[in-house]
Amino acid sequence: MLWIALELPSLPLQIAQRAGASREPLVISEGPEQRPVVVCANEAALAAGVHEGQAVAAAKALAADLRVLPRDPASEKEALQRLAAWASQFTPMSCVDGQGIAMEVESTLRIFEGHAKLSSVVRRGVRELGFQAAIGVAPTPMAARLIARAQARGLQVRSALDLAGLRERIGDLPLFLLDWPAETLAHLTDLGVLRLRDMLDLPIEGVTRRFGQKIAIDLGRLMGSFADPREPYAPPPRFRSRLELPAEADGVEALAFPLRRMLAEMEGALRGRGAGVQQLTLWLEHGRRKSTRVNLEFASPEREADFILSIAREKLGRLTLSAATVALSLHAEALLAYVPRESTWLPGAREQAIGRQRLIERLCARLGPDRVFGIAIGDDHRPEHGAKTVPGRLFGSEKSLPGTVLRPTWLLNRPRKLVTQDTFALIAGPERIESGWWDGLEVRRDYYVAANARGETYWIFREHRGDQGWYLHGVFA
Amino acid sequence: MKASVAELAQLPGVWRGGELEHAAQPVVATGHEALDRELPGGGWPTGTLSEVLHDAAGIGEVSFLAGALMRASADDRLIAWIDPPHLPYAPALAAAGIALPRCLVVRPAHRDDSLWAAEQALRSGACGALLLWLPCDEYAWLRRLQMAAEAGRAMAVLFRSTAAEKLSTPAHLRVALTREEGELHVRIPKRRGPPLATPIRLAIGRSLRGNNPEEIHSAPPTVLAERPRAIA
Repeated sequence: MLWIALELPSLPLQIAQRAGASREPLVISEGPEQRPVVVCANEAALAAGVHEGQAVAAAKALAADLRVLPRDPASEKEALQRLAAWASQFTPMSCVDGQGIAMEVESTLRIFEGHAKLSSVVRRGVRELGFQAAIGVAPTPMAARLIARAQARGLQVRSALDLAGLRERIGDLPLFLLDWPAETLAHLTDLGVLRLRDMLDLPIEGVTRRFGQKIAIDLGRLMGSFADPREPYAPPPRFRSRLELPAEADGVEALAFPLRRMLAEMEGALRGRGAGVQQLTLWLEHGRRKSTRVNLEFASPEREADFILSIAREKLGRLTLSAATVALSLHAEALLAYVPRESTWLPGAREQAIGRQRLIERLCARLGPDRVFGIAIGDDHRPEHGAKTVPGRLFGSEKSLPGTVLRPTWLLNRPRKLVTQDTFALIAGPERIESGWWDGLEVRRDYYVAANARGETYWIFREHRGDQGWYLHGVFA
Repeated sequence: MKASVAELAQLPGVWRGGELEHAAQPVVATGHEALDRELPGGGWPTGTLSEVLHDAAGIGEVSFLAGALMRASADDRLIAWIDPPHLPYAPALAAAGIALPRCLVVRPAHRDDSLWAAEQALRSGACGALLLWLPCDEYAWLRRLQMAAEAGRAMAVLFRSTAAEKLSTPAHLRVALTREEGELHVRIPKRRGPPLATPIRLAIGRSLRGNNPEEIHSAPPTVLAERPRAIA
C-alpha cells in the first residue's frame, strides 16, 4: 500500500480566496463570540503583524481595514469532499482525512508512472483548483498524514515508500503532529518523550497500560503493524459547487477565472466516475437581485474544463448583467457515461466528426441554434417544401438525388412579386408544378428560367391561381 | 553570392513576376480546364482566402465553384455557408454533387458575428470550404480570415462587389465575374503571377451542374412578349 495525503493547513482562508486572492488583509476567526481568535490570516494581514491565535480585536487594531470572516466548518467539509471527489480520478480509494484528503495509490501507480510523477500531477492539479496543499507519501495513511503535516509546518521530511524505511524517515518528527489528546502529549513531554523515535522505543505493553489502548493502536496503525482500513468517499451522483467572489464582479470577464477552477474540480470528479455532463446550469448570484441563469448544453457528454469554459465564455459574452456578481454556482444534475476520446496524430473520421460537433456547438452557443443549420431535401414537389433546414445540427443521411430538373442555387424565403422594367429572356420552361391540394397550400405554377440583359438568371413563375401574376422564386447564382 | 537569376528562380517560393507560381500549393481543380490553366498550381487554392468579385447576382457566381467545393469537402469536411444572401437550395446543391450532410449554413444577426463565425469555422479545421458573403473592407479582418484559413487548411471564398477591386487584399487569389452573351467571363486581377487581363470564357449553364442542354426543357429562347408589369 502506498498512501498520498494532502494537508490543507489554511483551508478556511483558501476557501475564501479561491475565486481570487484579496489584496486587503483578511483573517478567518473562530471561537466564542465575545473573544474570537484568528485561525488563519492572509499575506497582507501577516504583513501587518497579525498572527494566528491572536484575538480578533487585537488584529483589528493592527490592520484598520481588516476583513474578518467567521470559520464555516460545513463549507470546509464540503470543500474537502469535493476535493476527494476530484482525487477519485487518480484512485478509487480517496477519502476525506483530517484537514485534507488521503488516497491509496499503490494500485494505480503504474498508470501514472510512479509516485513522483503522480505527486507532481496531484500538486499541479490542486494548485489549479485554487488550493495549496502539503503532500505526504508513506505506506500507511497516518504516516502520510504525519509527513504532510510536517511539511506544512516547514519541516523537511522525505517521503517513505516502504514499511522498512518508515521508522527512519519519520522517527525525528515531533509527537504533537499526531491527533492525540493534549494531556497525553503533556504527559509524554514530562517524561521527556518528544519525538516519535522515543515513543516507538517504549515497550508497547507499558504504553498501553499508561496511555490507553487508543494510543497503542495509533502507533500500530502508524507503523503499519495494524490494519487501517478507510472508507472511500462516494460522491453523490451529481455535481454542485458554489464559489464566492472576493469582490463584486461587474462584467463577465472576471468570472472566467473562478469558473475555470470550478470546472477543473468538476472535471476531476467526472473523471473519477468515468462520467460526463450534457447539461450544466451556471447561476450568477447578484446578492439581493435575482440570480442569472446560464444553461450550457452539449450534443454529447463532455467533461473537459477548457472546452466547457470556451462554450461558457461565448454564452456569458452575450449576457448583459443587471447587477454585479457576488458568487457563482454550478449544478450538474445528471451525470452520464462518458466515452473517452483519444487524440491521435493523424485525425481520422471520428476525430473529425468530433471537431465538427464542437464547432457547431460553439457556433450555436453564441449565435443561437436557429441561426446555425444543415440543409436537406424535402419530400415535396412544391419548391418551398423541397428543402428543409435542420437547426443546430447537420442533415443526417444522404438521400437519393432528385431528377435532373433545373433548380436554382438560391431559393427566396417566399416568392417575390416581380417588379421590374427589365426585359427577360425565357431560357427554359415552362415547368408546370401543380401540387398540394391536400393541405390548403395548393400551388399551380409555370416555372421559367429567365435571364436579363446583364446575364442575371432567375427562376420565375406565373401563378395560375389568384392574381395570375409573375413571381421571382430563385436565383441561379 | 554569385547566384544567377536562373538559379534563384529555382528556389522554392521564388517565382518570376511574369510567370505563374509553380510551387506546390494545395489546390483543388475547379473542373473548368480553361480556368484551371490560368490558376497558379492548376486549381483553386485551399488553405488561403480567395475573393470572388461580382456585381450582378445570379450569373453563376457560386455554381462555377461547384467542382472545387465538391473536391474541397471530399475528405468528409464541411462546407460552411456564412450569411448567404438567400437560403442555399438543397435540391440544386445535391444535383451539383455537393453532399448535403456536409453543408452547414450559418446566418448570424450581425456583421461581427459573421466574422467571428467564419474565423471559428476556419480555425476549427472541420471545414474544407467556407463561403462568406460579407461587406467587409477592413484589411485587418481579412488578414485574420486569411490566417484562419491557413491554420484550418480550408478553402475560404469571400464574395464581394467589384468596387473592392481598388482595395488591397491579403487574399492570394481574386477573380472578377461578369456574364456576357451567355458565358461567364472570369478576369483574374490578382493571383500569384501576372494579372490576367483578357477574361476566360466559361460556358456555365444555369444549373450548378453545368450546361447540359438536355436538362433544359425544350423551349426555344423567346423574349417575353408581355413584359412582367411593375406591380407594387
